Amino acid sequence: MSTLWPFIVIGVFTGSIYGLAAMGVVLTYKTTGIFNFAYGAVAMFSAFTYWQLHDSWHVTAWVALPVLLLVVAPLFGIAFEGLFRFFSGASAEIPMVATLAVLSVLQVTAVLIWGGQARQLQSIFPRSTFLLGGNLHVGWDQLATLLVSLAMGGALWFLLRHTRFGTATRAVVDNGDLAGIIGVNAGSIRRGAWIVSSMFGVLVGILLSPTQGLDVNQLVLVVLYAFAPAVLGFVFGMPWAFAGALGLGILQSVLSRWSSSGTVADLEACIPYLALFVLLVVLGNRLKEAGVAVRPMAAAASDPSSSRASPSAVSSAFSGPQRAVRRRSQRPLTIGTTLFVLALLVPVVLSGPKLDDFTVAVTWAMIALTLVVLMGWAGQISLAQFSFVGVGAFCVGHFAGAHGHHFLLATLIGMAISVPLGLLLGLPSLRLSGLYFMLATLAFALIMDTLVFNRPDVSGGLTGITDARPNIFGLSFTGRVGFYELVLVVFGVLALAAYVVNRGPVGRRLNILRDSPLAASTLGVNLTVTKLVTFAICAAVASLGGSLYGSYLQAINPQGFSWNWSLELLLLVVLGARTMITGAVLAGAVVGIQHLVASTDPNIVNYIALTVAIGVIGLARQPEGTVAISVAEARRCMSVLRPRPRRQLVLETLFATPERMEVGSGR
Amino acid sequence: MSDLHDITMQGSAATLAPPVLELDDVWVSYGSMRALSGISLVVPEGSVVALLGPNGAGKSTTLRAISGLVRPEAGRVLVSGIRVERRPTHAIARLGVVHVPEGRGIFPSLTVLENLEMVRYALGEEIDPVAEAARIFPPLGTRLKQLAGTLSGGEQQMLSLARALLSDPRLLMVDEISMGLAPIVVGQLFDALRERAESGTSILLVEQYVDAALQLADYVYVMDKGRVVDVGEPEDVREGALVSAYLGS
Amino acid sequence: MDADGVGVANPPLLNAAGISVRFGGLQALDVVDLEVPAGQITGLIGPNGAGKTTLFNVLTGLITPRAGHVSLDGRDINGWPPHRRGRAGIARTFQRLELFVRMSVEDNLVAAWEACHPGAVLGRGRSERRRRVAEVMDLLDLWRIADVPAGALPTGQGRMIELGRALCTDPRVLLLDEPSSGLDASETARLCEVLRAVVGRSSSGEPAVLLVEHDMALVMDVCECITVLDFGRRIACGSPAQIRSDSAVRSAYLGETEVA
Repeated sequence: MSTLWPFIVIGVFTGSIYGLAAMGVVLTYKTTGIFNFAYGAVAMFSAFTYWQLHDSWHVTAWVALPVLLLVVAPLFGIAFEGLFRFFSGASAEIPMVATLAVLSVLQVTAVLIWGGQARQLQSIFPRSTFLLGGNLHVGWDQLATLLVSLAMGGALWFLLRHTRFGTATRAVVDNGDLAGIIGVNAGSIRRGAWIVSSMFGVLVGILLSPTQGLDVNQLVLVVLYAFAPAVLGFVFGMPWAFAGALGLGILQSVLSRWSSSGTVADLEACIPYLALFVLLVVLGNRLKEAGVAVRPMAAAASDPSSSRASPSAVSSAFSGPQRAVRRRSQRPLTIGTTLFVLALLVPVVLSGPKLDDFTVAVTWAMIALTLVVLMGWAGQISLAQFSFVGVGAFCVGHFAGAHGHHFLLATLIGMAISVPLGLLLGLPSLRLSGLYFMLATLAFALIMDTLVFNRPDVSGGLTGITDARPNIFGLSFTGRVGFYELVLVVFGVLALAAYVVNRGPVGRRLNILRDSPLAASTLGVNLTVTKLVTFAICAAVASLGGSLYGSYLQAINPQGFSWNWSLELLLLVVLGARTMITGAVLAGAVVGIQHLVASTDPNIVNYIALTVAIGVIGLARQPEGTVAISVAEARRCMSVLRPRPRRQLVLETLFATPERMEVGSGR
Repeated sequence: MSDLHDITMQGSAATLAPPVLELDDVWVSYGSMRALSGISLVVPEGSVVALLGPNGAGKSTTLRAISGLVRPEAGRVLVSGIRVERRPTHAIARLGVVHVPEGRGIFPSLTVLENLEMVRYALGEEIDPVAEAARIFPPLGTRLKQLAGTLSGGEQQMLSLARALLSDPRLLMVDEISMGLAPIVVGQLFDALRERAESGTSILLVEQYVDAALQLADYVYVMDKGRVVDVGEPEDVREGALVSAYLGS
Repeated sequence: MDADGVGVANPPLLNAAGISVRFGGLQALDVVDLEVPAGQITGLIGPNGAGKTTLFNVLTGLITPRAGHVSLDGRDINGWPPHRRGRAGIARTFQRLELFVRMSVEDNLVAAWEACHPGAVLGRGRSERRRRVAEVMDLLDLWRIADVPAGALPTGQGRMIELGRALCTDPRVLLLDEPSSGLDASETARLCEVLRAVVGRSSSGEPAVLLVEHDMALVMDVCECITVLDFGRRIACGSPAQIRSDSAVRSAYLGETEVA
């Protein structure tokens, strides 16, 4: 035990860092009802700003710190409140997705302002060390961080539970309209809550950057680690978030004692995510989302997805003949077929490298289709689809052979492996929904990243793995045109199948799963079987898409399938149209355009990235995605919406630091 | 309709006090759906006015237009002579307009005590919320530490009304308070309302439980399809042919 | 056999015996018996918090009781999950509407039929499905709003749709949780008509109906037998006239005002 003592102490200090981050996330969630995925980015941006003031312009800390706390933090707070004011009443996923978009906006902005390289932020505490227990050197700053964490934790707990402001924020989260009619200025309360949350984010940034490193990704990563303790905090209260964080730090530290061997090192990196996954599954039904129980009162009748009373004008508008014969519209099929035929003919006009942009667009559309089915139709938001894409891609690399002769076999192996993985991903969905299920899928993706894709025997180590172009039944698809046509045909078949299925009983079954699982189960639907089968099929098809995607890329590495890509996919599908196949096509098209733009001028991509904020606001006007906006509106919106760039590409071109490409980097 | 308005204005002129609530030709739409088509009504100071009518008539919308949850596209809403139709909800509430919404208007993740305390936060009242609430509705007194979301429907309704009464309203607006409640509880709620009315609080009451409403009210408005179709005292309204068609009694 | 010794006309189709449920420190149901005879509308009334919805949840399989048995037509269904009970013929509506809000009214009904007929997902039984859905749409007069998304409709029509959904599963027992909540007088009258039609015109006595309600006029009007719960216990069971005059029921639930 005495040999473990130093590790435990270090673990406590590391844990206090996670604790600060975890408490910030819990604070934000409890006081605003929004799980702010961008919290780490707020901390990062604040830290950079502090660096600019203090280290670069040599403004004294006595001025810089108040400026950050009293000017920058409130600005963040007001901006967040303004942004999320649009989202009240929309479905639960939209605010979550919006925070994900804010995350990337902040990161790209930081890169634009400060460039891509890491900076060194001086700690506000002295870095000298003292001896603890005779043989352990402990930094004063580490101790200070621990003490500040404890103090802040206590203060926040008191704020939430024992002050009127804390009670008011929880009331506003529960039911903002009701708060208004009893005389509480809900807008002010929300602004206050966001400002407090941002001030805490500033502190997190300034305290953690000196030791964790100041760059675009690191703090975001730390906050990801802190999600598991944060979940503990949601259920049991703030002190438990801190305790959980300490526990996590100690566990990681103790494990590092034996981490010379590869597997244990991977496990150590993976612990925070395993903890998150396990915690979510175990807590299961105890996790209730904030503010979801009560639907907004004021906007009731104008929101077609609410089931509250609306004027009888609706029924009178539909007084048509009894039993009117309703013809199922064939238009989507005609349009789809036309587009398909046009797409088939693209190589006639375009045969050079630009055709590759179309190829990548179609492979992404294929992958996006699985998310449309999973998220749009069955109502399960997944941040893990790219893990299955990775499985498919790596299987091709390992099993298809140097010339792709066994491509079909490799693809089938990939799909076979993906099925049990998909089932595993689907298990938490039986006990969780909404935000918490999304977190579970995130944990799953991160576990796949750290535990599976990072293994040299999977990823090919330093030499990497190459995927060959397919050679199916003697037909070689190595050529650009041939491969494109193959990919297009596969997508066409999948899209058609999805379309046909959606109009029939299976589509209805998925829809009732999304709209009211409770009613569905009492009517006779076995939720478990339905959900698991859906997950398994979507995983298998994603793997199929992955096999083709890997074949397109040819040179593949683990970073190409990390959770950032699942995030990208989610954002594209949500921005497009998550309930329509068109949305998948649009997602693919956007990726194609990104490639097109990036090859001409990488710098433009950065500025385009900033307009995603406008795209997100555009989303607030039509939660079903941009495709659902009518054509007339679309023309107006076209001037306002821009395609989003590929984040990885941005960061790759700006700072080539291959050794930073660990788990979750690129964020 | 003009009769009540005239009566009120005469009475008001005599006492030099404007009615506690006046709606003047209010129009409300939800998107493209018209909900209220030119509603005018008056609640004289210190009286109980019932708003009856079938589902979809626009009764709840009327209350929402008054408390500020929806904004009228035309018309005026006056609380004690002050125009409020452009004001935010919390400002209207601070004028003394208390809206007890349909469906249980409580904060589910706050305790019963915290729900009651919200009144103090909002309006700075110095009454002890606990003692008052327990006096009006004894079951609440024993459940102070319980999360409001875990209360039964009737208890939640009691909490909602208790909180409203605690804020000493100038105008109390109650929307279908009897929905889903046991008859004995409905009796208790209406007793509490009667007690309030007798002490001078003005009440605007939307109800499906017609008998109770007619017993309590001084005046009745009947609405249908976004319009006021009848107005008068309870006995007159009860006899009206229109009413029996809507109210089925 | 009910507590007052009045003979029940038919044998119970759905029977709950000795049901006890505990939530933490609260005894939600305390050795409760309930019989739902075939061919009748049975009422379940009681103060809020008496355990009515909890009992419903036990009957539909959403809650597992600590003690007691539920049987359907003599068959013990304890431990059966909700979907199995749904397929066996127990259908319910919800206090807070649980419509498939983004689907059209007709699709709500179609999906309900498909949910409880095995093989429907693969496309079997289409003509039977169309016939049954049309029948229910006729009964409830839903054709005018067949294509409207269910979430855009007012509560009154929403309740009819939920009822229609339950009927499409060819239920043996229909459990209705406050079906008239939010309905005005004319809509409530329509509901009574529909319930009588559903029970009256069936020769097999199915579906039997169990109704939780606070609208005493409705309950007294349509129910042949009424069970009263208070604080998790059954305090009375009998005909409307008996319940109306039962002193325990008056003091716990009805109050002293005359019930219409």
